[in-house]
Order: sequence, then structure tokens, then C-alpha cells
Amino acid sequence: MTHGWTVSDRLLDAHVPAGDPLGAWDRRRAEYRLVNPANRRHLKVIVVGTGLAGAGAAAALGELGYQVACFTFHDAPRRAHSVAAQGGINAPRARKVDGDSVRRFVTDAVKGGDFRGREADVVRLATESVRVIDHLQAIGAPFAREYGGQLATRSFGGVQVSRTYYTRGQTGQQLQVAASQALLRQVQRGSVRLHTRAEMLDLVVADGRAQGIVTRDLVSGAIGVHTAHAVVLATGGYGSVYFHSTLAVNSNATATWRAHRRGALFGCPSFVQFHPTALPVSSPWQSKTTLMSESLRNDGRIWVPANPGDERAANDIPEAERDYYLERRYPAYGNLTPRDVASRAARAEIVAGRGVGPLRNSVYLDFRDAIARLGRDTIAERYGNLFAMYTDVTGEDPYVEPMRIAPGAHFTMGGLWSDYDQMTSVPGLFVGGEAGSNYHGANRLGANSLLSACVDGWFTLPLSVPNWLAGLVGTPTLEQDAPEALEALETVARRTTHLLENEGTRRPTWFHRRLGEILDEGCGVSRSEAGLRAALEQVRQLGADFWADVRVGGRGDRLNQELERAGRVADFLELAELMVVDALDRTESCGAHFREEFTTELGEALRDDERWVNVSAWETTPVGKHIRHTEPLAFELVPLQVRDYR
Amino acid sequence: MVQDMTALREGQRTRATAPFPSTFALKLVMAVTGVIFIAFVFVHMIGNLKVYGGPASLDSYAQWLREVGYPLIPHKGVLWALRVTLLVSLVAHVGASVILWARGRRARGRFRRRRSSGVTAWAARTMLLGGVLILGFLVIHLLDLTIGRAVAPGAYQPADADGTIHAYTNLVASFSRPWMAAVYVVWMLVIAVHIWHGWRTMAQDLGATGHRLRAVWATLGALIALAIVLGNALIPILVQLGVIA
Amino acid sequence: MRIELEVWRQDGPRERGRFEAHVVDDATPEMSLLELLDRLNDQLVEGGQEPIQFESDCREGACGACGVTVNDVPHGPVPRTPSCRQHLRSFGAVTRLRIEPLRSAAFPVVRDLVVDRTALDRLIRAGGHVDVMTGTAPDADAVLVTHDDAEVALDFAACIGCGACVAACPNGAAHLFAGAKLAHLALVPHGRLERGRRAVAVVDALEAEFGPCSTYGECVEVCPAGIPLTAVAAVHRERLRSVFRGRAD
Repeated sequence: MTHGWTVSDRLLDAHVPAGDPLGAWDRRRAEYRLVNPANRRHLKVIVVGTGLAGAGAAAALGELGYQVACFTFHDAPRRAHSVAAQGGINAPRARKVDGDSVRRFVTDAVKGGDFRGREADVVRLATESVRVIDHLQAIGAPFAREYGGQLATRSFGGVQVSRTYYTRGQTGQQLQVAASQALLRQVQRGSVRLHTRAEMLDLVVADGRAQGIVTRDLVSGAIGVHTAHAVVLATGGYGSVYFHSTLAVNSNATATWRAHRRGALFGCPSFVQFHPTALPVSSPWQSKTTLMSESLRNDGRIWVPANPGDERAANDIPEAERDYYLERRYPAYGNLTPRDVASRAARAEIVAGRGVGPLRNSVYLDFRDAIARLGRDTIAERYGNLFAMYTDVTGEDPYVEPMRIAPGAHFTMGGLWSDYDQMTSVPGLFVGGEAGSNYHGANRLGANSLLSACVDGWFTLPLSVPNWLAGLVGTPTLEQDAPEALEALETVARRTTHLLENEGTRRPTWFHRRLGEILDEGCGVSRSEAGLRAALEQVRQLGADFWADVRVGGRGDRLNQELERAGRVADFLELAELMVVDALDRTESCGAHFREEFTTELGEALRDDERWVNVSAWETTPVGKHIRHTEPLAFELVPLQVRDYR
Repeated sequence: MVQDMTALREGQRTRATAPFPSTFALKLVMAVTGVIFIAFVFVHMIGNLKVYGGPASLDSYAQWLREVGYPLIPHKGVLWALRVTLLVSLVAHVGASVILWARGRRARGRFRRRRSSGVTAWAARTMLLGGVLILGFLVIHLLDLTIGRAVAPGAYQPADADGTIHAYTNLVASFSRPWMAAVYVVWMLVIAVHIWHGWRTMAQDLGATGHRLRAVWATLGALIALAIVLGNALIPILVQLGVIA
Repeated sequence: MRIELEVWRQDGPRERGRFEAHVVDDATPEMSLLELLDRLNDQLVEGGQEPIQFESDCREGACGACGVTVNDVPHGPVPRTPSCRQHLRSFGAVTRLRIEPLRSAAFPVVRDLVVDRTALDRLIRAGGHVDVMTGTAPDADAVLVTHDDAEVALDFAACIGCGACVAACPNGAAHLFAGAKLAHLALVPHGRLERGRRAVAVVDALEAEFGPCSTYGECVEVCPAGIPLTAVAAVHRERLRSVFRGRAD
């Protein structure tokens, strides 16, 4: 591996339809090539992942008559991590008279993303959102209803209209259950073959296009090749690279990273959203951080002791010695500043030594004043379930003492780079949902992640994948023993054997924890050049140590979770290096990417629109050298402007 | 088997086809025959209350049972119709329960559930044993007061040639034996538990999902069980106390 | 705190299993049951043994991946709480834990504490879905649903598919799971249109792989989603309804 990275002159074309961005999607849909229904069953599509994007794409393509093979490492499609989303799903259906519209949505999302996402794609999100709600409610998601029978909405995350559709605090779960049912319906019809407990470990590229994947059956250990005319990756985000994150413990980047190593460019890997109201890490054994709904900030006040190292219990600290730093710094938005700003402010307080809790790594979220003003009953009615969950996790009573919260790695805006049609830089390889990178720019708005996964899965990929397949009618799938397939198979087998036989001393989890510490410190909520350079060295060292000292043990021919974890951590280590490189490379602050060197006089994020109105799409050469390609961004509907929450 | 599991996971095959007769149908049989038994036991209990009216009251009731509907229906016609219905129900109820029990064991597999979480689960666990006990008591009861053999009291008087029945005398003779009185009281308690849980399960098996219906149903079940225990078990106790003689 | 464990080890579906005794000396009350197993696994690997295989994913109680039996109770001693949210501090004086897989003939052991729960998905596959083609749905605002229907549907739809109900059932029945799905889909506008055929298909699948319900009520005691026993009645209501109507709806 070399130090440093290079920048290529290559400007990427995202194939955005020319002309008025608002009508772009309609025009593109009209242009897409179609496949005769009789030919469809001869065309095979592999879909990896069964979350909202994967289950949707697999079910919709199966319905259309294509031969679909769908893969998940879970035991059941319903377990995909879309299931854990709480708040809701945005859709500018604009039925109310609150001034919502497709344009308003685009403005919110583009601005919220700090002008680092693709505007035309956001227009598609907004346009198709209407059908997403219709479809999901039809296939069984019991959206909350008004007493008059209409869909209920609420407002969410710094948006001034009410466009978030929800099912209590379990929207992701309900959408995920509905989507996996739709997928299972196709399995029953025979149009989709579902492979559970099958993990994708490599991509097969032949003749310059994606033609298959290599998987390991997690139960039997069998490594095999599956070939197809197109491959869709809907394998989610990589926030769990930080070890402690709000993601599931098995969420990983292996599928996307392996695709990247086979040539798919990776867009803005350093764009990671930290959720301000996660629960802090409170013990060395803790396996992840739990997310508390953002809605708590509506009534809770966030503060830290004014004096660093204050040892007193929260309730013993007098009002005068409390610093309500969000209210102080952002009087206009106060405790409701957007996620990135709130997380950064909390991080600054913790770094300055004013953090609270046994590990001094959290801030208070206090309901004392709200309880005094509204009464305990009202607070219980609004947040009772969240308070119970908090007590459940921490053993503390938030009615009596303030909650302790801390920023937690949550959503990755970065991911595989794709064009407007969701096709990556490897022809025939498509991406959907959080695994991709086109919609959210440098910061995602609340309730937009379920939407982007659903739009990709149900209403984009089922149109754009056939457009690609139309050119392959009459072409057979790659032979399973083609040289490219055998090479990929061999690579996976070698790596698996290496991991199993390495005579090291440390569990994969040890490296994962250590990687998390390095990234948190150097490439977390805020980043500095010195910190990033140090992190880069440490990550590279840790990567080398991993291959020298990891210990997996056990056998490869049966369930071996240690082996699964080892492969995932190995990929995280490589990805982390690229994240740090990207963060170093992007010499500006934008959205969730905050470089301490690039701030206003007041310490706020300072974008550099001269140089950085673009997407960094990274290539990693076979020897591990990083090359940045650039996709310039243009904004026609939303003029460039500075976010200001003061 | 590993290959089998992969095939199962990938939907290449399913483990089995639905059994015949279907569990759903067997549960319905249990529920319907259960209703018949509860109705029978309840009506029987009401008949038993005639004992408080003295010998003539009970004996004439027994007599009436044999003549009801005459001349449209032959002598003992209704009685035998009831007996046949009950017998068929009994066979169906017991048969279905045995099949269901076997299916439950097979579905659970090698590792039995060892812990029970409350009174409902306890009542459910007693159902099989309770059923066997009830059946045993029934045999004793028929021998004792209907057939008049084996466990019947020494003073048992069969029906006269003209059809006169000595129900009251036989009942008092039987219940005067403390051990037999105790058997009947225990029997009633077992029946009460069986009915209480059976009644609850019946609501489930007949698909009662409404909150009010379920609440009313539960109350009704408890009342019926209570009425049967009180109405029936009091008789041997009162005989023992000498109130009925 | 010191926790004594007896943990089920089984090398594969065909192998015989056995309990292994272990002690974790440095457990803390904050630990969840799964973090205790994480800690035990660290110890095992340090001692040169293979870690215990067990499933978990979101560790927030939403995904339904986790589930082990603790001292004969599926998920653990805290009622109606998934294994990932069972914290040692809530176990009271209990410091001896016997941990084994979710037990049912329908859930063959894959390895150690990991079982195969695809029988539940085969049930959904058989009929636990709604027959609507992508993009053909009418305007969701034009389809009226009462507030209460939406809420009750959600009460049943809250099932996380963990399978604890089956493991709690002395009969290995899955009526709570099946009923939750049937009740949920019977309350949503499009699902309502195929109630009859769904009931037949789902109940056939249910009876093929699971046992009969005897109203033990054990399932409700362990259900992390709080699905009520009414769900079981819904299985029979839907099935009986299909018999009387004899139609697909």
C-alpha cells in the first residue's frame, strides 16, 4: 500500500436527463428500453440484501417475470436492518394546505445535504414518494390514520411542513415486514429464489460487466458462484465500521467493499451522520449504542456543567453553573438544531472536558423544566415508551435525573457511486438504498432513508435494470466455470482459508473495537488534518496487524460466526482507510463532514463551493492505491446557499 | 440433513403437508362436543336439584325423563337419543384429544417445556389428566347409580317391573358412604377445572376475538363451572350432614 | 458479579448436544444477556476454545434475530422482553443461568444456540401477504381506514418473528405468530379482499409444521411484541369464516 492518493482528471457523467429537472424522471422512464414478457424469464437478476431496497427490487422484478435470485446472510428476509428505523417515511404528497410540494421537498433535501447530493435524483425521490406510500399501505403497512380515515402525518427533523408518514415508533419495522411479505409472495410464486444465510463475498466481473457473485453458505460453509445478467446490491450502510453505532451488530460493508475492489467507485465514504440522541457507551462490554428518537429534543433541554470536571450529580448542579450550550449558540433553533450541528456541539463539549457520566462521554438531556411546565403525565404520554426504553437500557429514571446522550454513528451518506439509473461504474452492477450514495449529499434529513430505499427498490431499479437487460436478450449467463468466476471463487476460498488458519492471538472483534476507537477519535464527528493523518497511520497499522494477528479458529464447513466477523472486519479496515483518505482530501466542511480547519469565525462549518461542489468517487487499485474521480454537481432548482441555524 | 435444511431454507420443499383430519377440524370437534357435555352436565345438575324437593320430586323427574314425548316418541326414546349423542360425543371428544395430544408432543420434539407460567397454563396442563379422571368417575357413577353393580350401595334398588324408579333412595344410599361422597366432591372439582379451561379454549377455537364477547364469555364460563360445582357437590355433602335423608 | 452458566453446545444439526459449565467472574449489572455471552466468548477464545454461536442483530428488540432459552424460559426471566434487552440487573438474585436454544421440533438446531426458524417464513410464504402488483395501488388517502382499525392492525403487525411463542408452547404451536399475521392482514383494506384464501393457506402451513393450540397462554408471557392471546382466536375465526363463506375474500 502506498501513502497518499492521486486525483484523476476523469469527470464522471451521471447520465442525468438533460432539460428541466422536475420532468427528468418522466422523460427517462419514457426512454427506458423494455423487454418482451416472453424473454424476461430467460434474463436473470441477482439481488443481494432483503431490506426495503433489496426486497422491493427482488419482488418487483420477480413480478415482472424476470428470474430473480435473492440473497441475505440473515435467516429470514424480515431481519434486514431497515426494520430498526423508527421515525417515519417522508413523502411530499402535498395534500394539506401547509405549502408542501415536490419542489419544497427537493429544497429541504438538497439544502439539508449541504449541496453535495444530486438534485435530479432527489426530484425522483420526491416524485415517486407518492406511489411508495400507496404501494406500501396496499401491501399491508398499517400507516397511522386520522379519525376521518385519512393518512396521518407528523413533522420531522427541521422541516417546516408535515410530510412524515408513520406507524407509531416502528415505521421501519412495518415497512420491512410488508416488503419481506411481498418478497415471500414471489418466492411462493416461484419467480424469486431466496437464499437465506448466504453471504456475498465477491463480485464476478467478466467482459467488463458484473455477471455474478460468490457466496458462502453460512450453514454448510460451501462457497459457490451464482451468475446472472445483472447484479443489484442493496446491502445497507457501513456505519458499524465505528464498532459502536446504532446499526445492527451484523451490518457490514463486505458486499459493497468487495464490489468496490472489483471496480465499482465509492462515493464520498467519509460522509457519515452521527445521531445526537444515541445513548453513550457506558461499559467496556457494550456491543452497540441504542438510538433514542430525535423527538425527545422537542421537550428536553441539552446541557453540560459549565465547569470541566464537575463531579456533582446532575440535580446538585445549580442553574447558574449549567451551560445550555445549544440554546446559547443557536438561539433560533436551540435544542432542535439539525443532527450534524447538534452532534458536533456535543462533541465539542465532551472534548473540552465538560462531558458527563462515568466515562465523561455524554451530555445531559434534561426534562426537569418540561415536567415542571407540562406535568409528568403529559411527558409520560409523549415519551413514556422512550423513557421506559432508557430505563431498560441504563437502569436510570429520566423522570428523576436527566438522560445522558452522546452522538452515535448512524447513517452513511456515502456508498457505492451510481449514475441516475442507479448503475455503478461497473456496467450491470446496480445499487439501491443506503448502499448507494446519490441522494443525501453530506447530511441526510430524518425520514428520508426509508424513502430512498423504497424508491430505489420499488420504483427505480425495476425500470432501470430491465433497460440494461434489454441489451442482453439472447445472451446466456456466464458459465459457472468461466475463468473470471473461478478466479473470484478461488480468491474467496483462499481468503477464507487464510483467516481460518492464521495463527494469531486476537479475536476479530478486538480489531473492530480498536478500529472504532481510531475512527471516533480521528474521523468522527469532527475531523482535523493532524487527527486524520494520525488515524490514517493507525488504520493502516491495524490492517497489517489484523492479517498478522487475527485468530478465527474452528472449521469452515459449518456455522462459524467468528469467521463471518473476521471477513467483515477485514473489509471494514480497508474501507476505513478510504474514509480517512476522503476526509483528508475534502478540504472543506460540509454537512456531517466537519473539518476543524475550515470554519467560520464563529466556529461554524465553512463550505468551499469553489472547489467542492462535486462528489468524490474513489477507485482503489488492486494494490490498494486510491484514486479520486470527480462528479461535478449542478443545482438548477435550489440555488447554493449557506445553512444557518443561529 | 444439512442438505435438507438448505432445501427447506431456500423453499425447495416444505417439511410436511397439512395433517388429516386437520387440527382445526379436530379442535372444532372438541369445542362442539365440549358444548354438548357442558350443556348435559348443566341440565343434569338442574335435574339433581329436584333432590331438595324430596323423594317424590326426584323420582317423578326420573320417571318423566323416560316418558317425555310419549306417545309421539316411544318410551325412553329421548333418554336413549341423549345417551347415543353423549356416547358419540364422548368417542369424538376423547379421540380428537388423543390425536391432538400426539400432534402436540411431536411438534414440540425431544425437549419438553418444563416450566409453567401461571394458573391458565396450569389448568391447560391438567386437561388430559382431568379428562382421564372424569372418564373414570363416569364409569363409577354409571355403575353406582344407573346400572347398580360393583360400587353400587348394598341397598341399591333397580327399577320395578312397572317402571317405578327409586332414584332418591339409591342416591341417598350411595352418598351415605363417606368415601363415595368424597369421590363425588372431588369429581365435581375436577369437572369444574376442566370446564373452566375448556370453556376458555372454546372461545379461542370458535374464533371469538371481540373484547366484550371474550369478557362476557369468560364470566359466563366461571359462573357455569361454579354453578355445577355448587349444585352437584352440595348434594353428597348435605347427605353426609344428614340434611338430605 | 459472578454468573454461573450452563450453556448448550451442539456442533451441528445431526450432532448430539450437551451442556457445558462456565463461569463469568466479571459480569456487570449493566450487561445484557447477549453481552454476557459476548464476554463468555472472549473468555472461551482466550482459553483456546471455540466461541458459542448465538444469533442477534439489531440488539434493540426490533429485528427478532435473538432468542435463547434461559432457565427454561424463552428469551429470559424478564417477561415479554427479547433476549437482547434482558439485563442482568433485572434478574434479581438469579446468578445461575442455564442457556439453551429455543426448543421446538420445528426449529432444528443449526449450531449451539442457533436454530433454524424458516418454518415461520414458510407460513408467511404460504399466504401471509397481499396480492397487489407494484405500482397498481390506488391513492392511499382515497382508501379510508378508521383510526382504530389502523391501531389494532398495528398491535398485531408488531410481531417481530422471533419464534419465542413457539418455544414457549408445550405443544410447539405457532398460533400466536400465525394469528397475529391473519389478524393484521384482515384489518388492512387490500388484505381484507383475500381473507378466505389466506386463512386456508396459512392454517394449512401452520398445521403442517407446528402443533395444536391448547390455550396454555405461555406464548403471551414471552412475546416481546405484546401480541395478545386474541391472535390465537383470530386463527380460528379466519379459518371458520372461510369455511362458511367458501370464497377467496
